[in-house]
Amino acid sequence: MKRFLPLILIATSACAAADDEERSVDASPDGLVSISNTAGSIDVRGWSRNQVDVRADLGSGVDELVVERDGDKVLVQVKTRRSMRSSSTDLHVRVPENSSIDVSGISADISVDGVLGAQRLQSISGDIETTAHEADVDIETVSGDVNLEGDRRPIHVTLSTVSGDIDVDNVFGDIKSGSVSGDLYIVDGEFNRVTMNTTSGDIVFRAALLSNGRFDVETINGDVDIKLAGEISASFDIETFNGEIRNCFGPEPVRTSRYAPGRELSFTEGGGSSRVIIRTLNGDLRLCRDD
Amino acid sequence: MNEFERDDAELMRMARGLATDVQPQRDLWPSIAEGIDDTDARPVVRWPRLMAQAAAVLLLVGGSSMITWLTMQDAAGPTEQVAATDTLTFRPVSGSFGSDYSLGPDFTDARNSLVAKLDEEMERLPPATRAEVEKNIATIRAAIAEINIALAKEPENVLLQQLLLRTYNEELSVMRKVDLLTTSVMRREDI
Repeated sequence: MKRFLPLILIATSACAAADDEERSVDASPDGLVSISNTAGSIDVRGWSRNQVDVRADLGSGVDELVVERDGDKVLVQVKTRRSMRSSSTDLHVRVPENSSIDVSGISADISVDGVLGAQRLQSISGDIETTAHEADVDIETVSGDVNLEGDRRPIHVTLSTVSGDIDVDNVFGDIKSGSVSGDLYIVDGEFNRVTMNTTSGDIVFRAALLSNGRFDVETINGDVDIKLAGEISASFDIETFNGEIRNCFGPEPVRTSRYAPGRELSFTEGGGSSRVIIRTLNGDLRLCRDD
Repeated sequence: MNEFERDDAELMRMARGLATDVQPQRDLWPSIAEGIDDTDARPVVRWPRLMAQAAAVLLLVGGSSMITWLTMQDAAGPTEQVAATDTLTFRPVSGSFGSDYSLGPDFTDARNSLVAKLDEEMERLPPATRAEVEKNIATIRAAIAEINIALAKEPENVLLQQLLLRTYNEELSVMRKVDLLTTSVMRREDI
């Protein structure tokens, strides 16, 4: 494997104050920028320069702010003493707009805007907010909330939380989202493939499913509220063990057994080119057209 | 006299020849009189008052139960199937797949391994996040237990089988995710 000697560029800007630092390094126009900060916030913005610019409001427990370039990669890292993990640093990073970014924090909130490359965003308890443009987005949190805004260009999106809510607006393409107790909201988009899973979180979908698409929803105890927008051509297979089904398309659900409370509903709308599969244990379901 | 009139005359003649009374071979009256006397002489059987009251209560309760049962039959249609005794006492453990099956030792080993790693990683999480993770894993395990109990009552229910598998997978997935995420994020902080 080809190895690069690390090219370390030390700060080019003077510190504005004892706790504030500014650094900048030249960067590849479409390289990878990795950013990590334990606590506080990470704010990433894409810009037209081939440069990574960092402004940091450092917490008291910070050992060092690292800004390094290694070939096409730039590393931005707030190094904190182990005993000072809760030390809060606010990090503002500007990256070339075609960069891919890999951002992680423990309790740091992450905010991204104007980055056209792929995004991988991870936080344990911090909230994550980003805009997606033309590359894939992969977001994971444990307890933080996720807010994703698209710009109508088709992308692949993977979103996962344990207890955080997921809120997706105006995304097109494929989306896979899951949570244990967090609620999932997807509104105003068009999708080829949709997967939404929860254990106890509620599921809301108000967007369009394109022809030949696939829509899979599974929840144990969450309620499901689906309003399909646009022209609908899909075959629907819905089943619940102990929930209620309300279907605005007409056909009524039927009991799955004389001896159990389960209900199922199968019907076709339009030409039936797409497939919709919804399963719940106790969750109620409402299925309608989004007029 | 035609042929039919001749037959009638012959039948009448034979009928007149029959005996007008039949003498039994023995005198039946004494035994009949004895029977009558016995009936008259037998004492009237009367239930004690307590017994009568008990019988009335039994009749009332039995009749009421019968009416209730008939009413329920008419109103509710088929009643819910009563689960077998072993289903009622079923206590799912990790890896249970209804009351009759389990996911086997490989699953148990994989899960135990993840549980051990999760326990290590949880120590590194902020207390509030650790509490969130514990609460959510408890939510998943409660769902697994609930589906297992339902599946024990309906072992052939495909929906329950699918949801149970998915929820087991979710438990593993969350443990793996917390482990990976924590390791990934912490490793970068530890440089």
